[in-house]
Amino acid sequence: MVRASNLDLVAPDEIIEIKKDPPSLRNSGEVRQKVYDLLGHTSNPLSSFLIKPHVFKFKEQDDKEEIILVMRPHWFTNVSWVISAIGMLMVPMLAQFLPVWGEVPLKYQAWGILFWYMITLAFCLEQFLSWYFDVYIITDERVIDIEFNNLLDKKFAETKISMIQDVSSRVAGISQTMFNYGDVRIQTAAEIPELCFEKVPNPDKVIKVLQMMREEEELEAIEGRVR
Amino acid sequence: MLPDITGYFVILERIFAIVGTGLYLIFAIVIVKQVSMMTKNVYDKFNWIVIVFSYIHLALSVFLLLMSIV
Repeated sequence: MVRASNLDLVAPDEIIEIKKDPPSLRNSGEVRQKVYDLLGHTSNPLSSFLIKPHVFKFKEQDDKEEIILVMRPHWFTNVSWVISAIGMLMVPMLAQFLPVWGEVPLKYQAWGILFWYMITLAFCLEQFLSWYFDVYIITDERVIDIEFNNLLDKKFAETKISMIQDVSSRVAGISQTMFNYGDVRIQTAAEIPELCFEKVPNPDKVIKVLQMMREEEELEAIEGRVR
Repeated sequence: MLPDITGYFVILERIFAIVGTGLYLIFAIVIVKQVSMMTKNVYDKFNWIVIVFSYIHLALSVFLLLMSIV
């Protein structure tokens, strides 16, 4: 039997580090740049799709946590309540055509009109707040869903990007197809089994971003930069 | 001859208006509190506009209550 002349080659005492570069990307910074290249830039601060916003912050945000994307339901979801509000604004004008209206004292007429406009204002305020504060956030570490239902109910749900298992989207109906918005469902391995981003713009881009962020997390784990 | 009940209706109307606007004022206060809580949770560029609107709403509801009483 032929014996090996140098045993260190067969069974070395020290562990040999095998450095293997990932096939497509070299480091996590490149992945982040690719994410921003894909998303582009948001110029309108009231947009439903805010990319790397400078002003936006949330209470549960960590000091070093970077916000990549903030989403709200698509602006088209507001159209129905805006039309209702316009209809409500016209009611006092139509009331003047009623024969009984002329017999109501002027003071009560003014009170009634003001009361009606107040109800309209409250309706608009509630609908706008429900849209404005219903935010879905993708940071470099987490995916967050903050919802305020009917002004008195706050919901906060989050999952780490590394805990994401599957992501799917659904664009259904005429308006969603025309304006390119829909639901993005995120299945997780965390305590909250699913997060749903409802009626967000560009669901395909959101899925792509989440995929890239997962890739970045994996690269960070390889680089040993996991927070 | 039937008694004049118009006066009772006016009183009833006024009570209804005061109670209604009083409840509305409570609702307006809840909106202000809620908006302040929301803006603390999510900080964005246009938060101040939402706060201003909630206070305008509160001021108008106070005015409406005064209008019902006077």
